[in-house]
Amino acid sequence: MSEFEHLSGGTAEIIAQADQREAQERASRPDEPSLPPFEWLKVNLFSSVLNTVLTIVFGLLGLYVYRSLLNWAFSYERDWDAVRVNMRALFTFTYPSSQYIRIWVTLAIVLTLAGMSLGMSRMIGQGLSLKRISIWAMSWGGAVVAGILFTQPHAQRTTTGEVMLDDHFQPIRESYGTALADRGWWWLIGLVLLGVGLAIWWSFGDLRRRTTFVGAVPFTLGMLAFLVSTLWWFKWGNYGEQGDIIEPGRTVNDSAKLPWTVLWFVLTGAYLLGSRIATTARSGTVRGLVNFSWLLTPFVTFWVILRDPALDWDHVWSTDIPMALAFIVGGGAVLYLLTKPDLGEIGRVIGVVILGVAALNWVTAFFGWYAMLQKARISFFLLALVALAAHNFAGERKQRIRLVLGWTVLMVIVHYMVTMMNTTSTVDAPDEFVGGFLVTVYIATFTMIFSFPLGILLALGRTSTLPIFRVLSTIYIEVVRGVPLITVLFFFSTFLNIFLPVGMELEKLAAAGLGFSLFSAAYLAENIRGGLQSVRRGQFEASDALGLTTVQRTGFIVLPQALRVSIPVLVGATISTFKETSLLAIIGIVDFLRVANSVIPGQTQFLGVKMEGLLFVCMIYWIGAYSMSKFSQRLEKHLGVGEH
Amino acid sequence: MSFSDATTAVSDELAARDDIIVCDGVDKWYGDFQALKGISANIKEQEVVVVLGPSGSGKSTWIRCINRLEQHQSGRIVVDGVELTNDTRNIEKIRSEVGMVFQQFNLFPHLTVRDNITLAPIWVRKKPRAEAVALADQLLERVGIPEQADKFPGQLSGGQQQRVAIARALAMEPRVMLFDEPTSALDPEMIKEVLDVMKTLARSGMTMMVVTHEMGFAREVADRIIFMEEGQIVEVGTPEHFFTDPTEDRTKLFLSQIL
Repeated sequence: MSEFEHLSGGTAEIIAQADQREAQERASRPDEPSLPPFEWLKVNLFSSVLNTVLTIVFGLLGLYVYRSLLNWAFSYERDWDAVRVNMRALFTFTYPSSQYIRIWVTLAIVLTLAGMSLGMSRMIGQGLSLKRISIWAMSWGGAVVAGILFTQPHAQRTTTGEVMLDDHFQPIRESYGTALADRGWWWLIGLVLLGVGLAIWWSFGDLRRRTTFVGAVPFTLGMLAFLVSTLWWFKWGNYGEQGDIIEPGRTVNDSAKLPWTVLWFVLTGAYLLGSRIATTARSGTVRGLVNFSWLLTPFVTFWVILRDPALDWDHVWSTDIPMALAFIVGGGAVLYLLTKPDLGEIGRVIGVVILGVAALNWVTAFFGWYAMLQKARISFFLLALVALAAHNFAGERKQRIRLVLGWTVLMVIVHYMVTMMNTTSTVDAPDEFVGGFLVTVYIATFTMIFSFPLGILLALGRTSTLPIFRVLSTIYIEVVRGVPLITVLFFFSTFLNIFLPVGMELEKLAAAGLGFSLFSAAYLAENIRGGLQSVRRGQFEASDALGLTTVQRTGFIVLPQALRVSIPVLVGATISTFKETSLLAIIGIVDFLRVANSVIPGQTQFLGVKMEGLLFVCMIYWIGAYSMSKFSQRLEKHLGVGEH
Repeated sequence: MSFSDATTAVSDELAARDDIIVCDGVDKWYGDFQALKGISANIKEQEVVVVLGPSGSGKSTWIRCINRLEQHQSGRIVVDGVELTNDTRNIEKIRSEVGMVFQQFNLFPHLTVRDNITLAPIWVRKKPRAEAVALADQLLERVGIPEQADKFPGQLSGGQQQRVAIARALAMEPRVMLFDEPTSALDPEMIKEVLDVMKTLARSGMTMMVVTHEMGFAREVADRIIFMEEGQIVEVGTPEHFFTDPTEDRTKLFLSQIL
């Protein structure tokens, strides 16, 4: 077990079990050689009359669709410049290019953490077999060659670049032979892929093909290296900023090749570092640090790096920091006291008193009786919640310190966030400073971070034995689920500020994020409730028999098992949120889809050009969703979801 | 021996000891169906009581009422001087004195064996971690599987899992151990290892109340056997009395079907 010590409990356990199972399977199962190509075709595609007919019909249908798609994509009517020129607009919209270094730094941080996490986790599995790689290469090569042969010849153009039309206003096309000869680059790509695939196929026998593995991550890094390298030798063309005409001097290569190369090295370096650390003794601490950094990343990258807030330092030093410290130290002391093992009833009394103070604060806020910063109100409320539950986590000194540390982290994050939300950004931009893909990623990230704990609380509330929690949770869930997301977004972006107490105001993006989170939380709550119901009754009985309190039982026994079962659904919710962010367009935020749908067709140069942008946006959405889906499959497999 | 009354069925030596569990006229209904009909019994300190009976006789229901996994509607249950009422403080106190071993083991699958055992001592008894771990290792030795401490329940056999469950219950240092058909879900070759642990435990002086079908165990280890049918206590006696010369006809019928 020693080599798995560095992993947190659940993963290590399942890997040990999986390894054992694999070892047993490998020892006993007889070798099953794969079928040679013609045999494979006969068995899988042409085995019966019905299968043969289906194969032919759907094969032809597939080829027809493929051909139509290619003809559409490469038609003379397409203006792919619309996408290429507007790359920056699509991804970051109005973020000023002089400040782009901030985006690169953000990406560097994210890739470092991602590389380290990848390197340190053992989730990667066996990797890709040579057989799969060669089949993959041959398929893509075949697809490219088929595409070359199927796509109709290009329209002929005059010397001025106009398309030559015949009497019926149809374009005069080149001859087929000329077309084939013209597609030199595509031939190269297709034949290289086919060649590589066939080379692998023929150099290795069937058994070696199936059992030689290339690590999935190294393979992906290699492909990425190749992609990044194209920035150095392939002319990707020019682009301009949003609204500009093409600038002949500025090419994609010039501005992008250096940052992306550096980022690739950062990713690979982090991965290698992570792999190296995973085998040392310190890996547990490093893992904890990396996970903690992941938690902090959205707050740091968004509000410090990308937004560069214009902090009023006087106010910060005189009010914000002292208040934060007061709550941290004061609250910490109270919690340390409340976790004393034999405290008895006093603990609960103190908890209720703090709850009373917190409730009073919120009530007086609406009547405007005395002024108190929202931060203080929120902090009191959180302190009350933690204080009431504190006796469940009483114990020896180390444990109590850990609870106080957790409280400190919570206070730091909350105070930091509220302070940052109220400061303006120095990044000079016309409207919102984020747009395009950036806003999609951030709203999706923040939604998942905030809706997840709230969803768990709602699910626990709905299944609670206390009527008040049950009623409130049910009302919340049923009301939110009955309302369309667009309505929620409208409400939050326009009406919310009217309902908030005096002095509190949310800007549009924060309001949208809040709306998303509250909406998503209701759906997550139901999914997690399903997971809760899947925990066997015996677990509850065993916990009760041992004397665990309800809070302890929920936190230590029920939730870990319930969440494991809910993973497929939770990842599905993430994918949905990622795509639902396109609704932000309705409340005026220029997100990824809106750039392609409204902004690009509105540019004088690309009037009415919609489809190319939309297709590109679809592709990016698909890549994102597919990656998440693939990741979730890997996660499930290694957590043993579905097995017992 | 009168119906439903096991209070007089003790030997003099046993009678001298204190009562740990006192049940007085306990009734329980599931809807309209009465599962327990006026159960009265005293379990003495360090006594091993085996409860026998056909299925549906209320044996498991009675045992589960004692640590409030089921709620009785009338009558009194007193455990170690604390009466079992709706007061959660009483329930918590009683549960910390009563350990239970289930038919389905009910180990926590996401925790290692050691963590399964140390969880309650640390968070309920507020023991320091080092002390709890030492206790866990000691108990694992006692049940005979010290090398499995870092494994997960899914990697253990049924007999090993049940032994871990026994160690987990013992870690709370209870005064009474309740066993609800501990070997019924086990393969025959694993039953013996669990019964051996239970026998050792009995000989070390633990008060045990065991619902089981293992007649050999009952004959060897029990101080008293209580026979239940249809929610009532039918007969009580020592193993010799019970197996060789039972009084009631229903007991004789049951024995003829089992043995």
